[in-house]
Amino acid sequence: MGDIEAALLLTLQAVLSGILVGGVYGVLSVGLSLAFGVMRIVNFAHGEMVMFGMYAGVVASRSFGIDPLFILPLSFVFVALVGAAQYQIVFRRFVGHTTLQQLLAAIGCALVLQMIAQLIFGVDARTATSMFTGQYIVLGPLFLSKAQIVAFVIAALATALVEALLRRTVWGKAVRAVADDLEAAEIVGISTQYVNISAFALACGLAGMAGTVLVTYFPTQPTAGFMLMPIIIIATTIGGLGSVGGTFLGGICCGMVQQMTAMLWNSALQDVPLYVLLLLFIAYRPTGFFGLRSE
Amino acid sequence: MDPPETRTRRRRASARSLLADRAGRRAFASFIGPVAIVAALPLLPFVNHYILAVTVRALIFIALGQAWNIVAGIGGLLSLGHGVFLGLGCYTTGFLFNDLGIPPWIGVWGGVLLSVGVALVMGGMTLRMRGVFFALATIAISLALDQLARHFVDLTGGDNGLALKFLGDSLWAAQSRSPVPFLYGSLVIVVIYYWITRWILMSRFGLEMQAVRDDEVAAAAAGVAVFRTKLLGLLASAAMTSIAATAYMQFYMAIDPEAAFGLAQAIQLQLPALIGGLGTALGPIIGGAVMIFLSEVTNWGGAKLGISGIDILVYGLMLLVVVLRAPKGIVGWLFRSPQGSKG
Repeated sequence: MGDIEAALLLTLQAVLSGILVGGVYGVLSVGLSLAFGVMRIVNFAHGEMVMFGMYAGVVASRSFGIDPLFILPLSFVFVALVGAAQYQIVFRRFVGHTTLQQLLAAIGCALVLQMIAQLIFGVDARTATSMFTGQYIVLGPLFLSKAQIVAFVIAALATALVEALLRRTVWGKAVRAVADDLEAAEIVGISTQYVNISAFALACGLAGMAGTVLVTYFPTQPTAGFMLMPIIIIATTIGGLGSVGGTFLGGICCGMVQQMTAMLWNSALQDVPLYVLLLLFIAYRPTGFFGLRSE
Repeated sequence: MDPPETRTRRRRASARSLLADRAGRRAFASFIGPVAIVAALPLLPFVNHYILAVTVRALIFIALGQAWNIVAGIGGLLSLGHGVFLGLGCYTTGFLFNDLGIPPWIGVWGGVLLSVGVALVMGGMTLRMRGVFFALATIAISLALDQLARHFVDLTGGDNGLALKFLGDSLWAAQSRSPVPFLYGSLVIVVIYYWITRWILMSRFGLEMQAVRDDEVAAAAAGVAVFRTKLLGLLASAAMTSIAATAYMQFYMAIDPEAAFGLAQAIQLQLPALIGGLGTALGPIIGGAVMIFLSEVTNWGGAKLGISGIDILVYGLMLLVVVLRAPKGIVGWLFRSPQGSKG
């Protein structure tokens, strides 16, 4: 009986920390999904936006002694501006079709941004500390990191806010109109250029903010963005490319699968079941749980 | 925006002009010269070991680029995970040689078999979908293999990778201290791949692949078996990559997960075709030479300045410049003919 109890506890622990980690994966991925939903752009440089957000947290914490959690709005604005520049320079010409050229251009962006970070910060891993770093809540036999709980709450709030923006505001209505039919939206007088650039900036800013939250418990390095990219892609595909709430749930799924594999099987292979899951979804349900029907 | 039919017709026309007889002869003439020069390289007085080694590196990456060009250039399928086939080829040849004593001449076919098998599964699962999903799946498979290769240390050597046992100069083991045999070996592969590419471009199969690339719906309506065409293209490309990978393994004598499945390697497999001209027979050859030249220069410059990884930055910039400014690559720019500009 003891063995079964221990296994159950371990599973519970894995599910709980999976949900906490997964919420952050979710908010990391929401931007990618949004950009695809509105513009059909798959931004392989999305991870680099997260990485810039992480470095913003490191700079705040190490150079200015400010808690990364206090600079969230700042890192949102900073990375949103980077995203807007990226859109203007590169992605403007690819709106509406996910082509080979668009994917390659995004990879080019990712490499350049990664090297910029490496030239500024060097290759070593950097950490940041917030007021919750390294603290745990003990619930009977279960341990939960406070930094992860705070990160999950912020992630859930941010996702809810984006969902509300899309559903309740005039801007959100315009974005959904453009996502539905670009030409029809133009005909009824929506400035698609403005909608696209603001949606892309929002997607990137959100990734940056999520990165700043993430860095409170996860060290960063120039390749951090690219290492997160597979998880981001998987969360987005499982949740459904183009659906904000679905992507958040997809992130939670990823977190749970990953933590359960790590705790119950083998932590060195924690991502392999995720890749298998991705393949299965692509083969049998490419729209994910809540994705766009077309395309 | 042009109506899609016009765009398709224009692309078809440009594809045909590359196949036209005069252009074909020109391509042949501009091809036989470089082959003769490369073949004569070891005889020239000023050529040292370094130049020969760089030439072999260029030839191997040209061959890998030619293989990628089949699936991405002619077929329009963005494979970001061709490192999978490179890795399978290298690891299989290496494992068969080290542990079972099977020479690479036979081991190469083991790698091909494995690569084609993986390509079959990968393609079978994802090629019915539109392009994005195929690209995502290729990434997933290459990352999964990366983790597996790091984990199964007995089979693959883990993070440190797999090093071939060195037997000295030996034809049986395809090993040599001098790069000259590899120069001729990889030159033969490049020439054969060039003719394969040209044959595919002119064959019914290649035309079907291009039709699918340009407009899947129209191709299906015209009676092309879309899924089968894409799958065959992927299988051919996987087999070709795997054979070139064995040349890679014999020359470098070692493979590790980063070199097989890493991002930098995936980009190096794509750049030759992209720089030179996607979907052309000559493109990967010109592009591969340019890429290796730039990479050697930037590595040399980076070492002088004490900055590492400059070549990645250069690769990123090259990708952006090619995609944004010269989508048809160097070949498209060289062979822009007056008929082409008329549209």
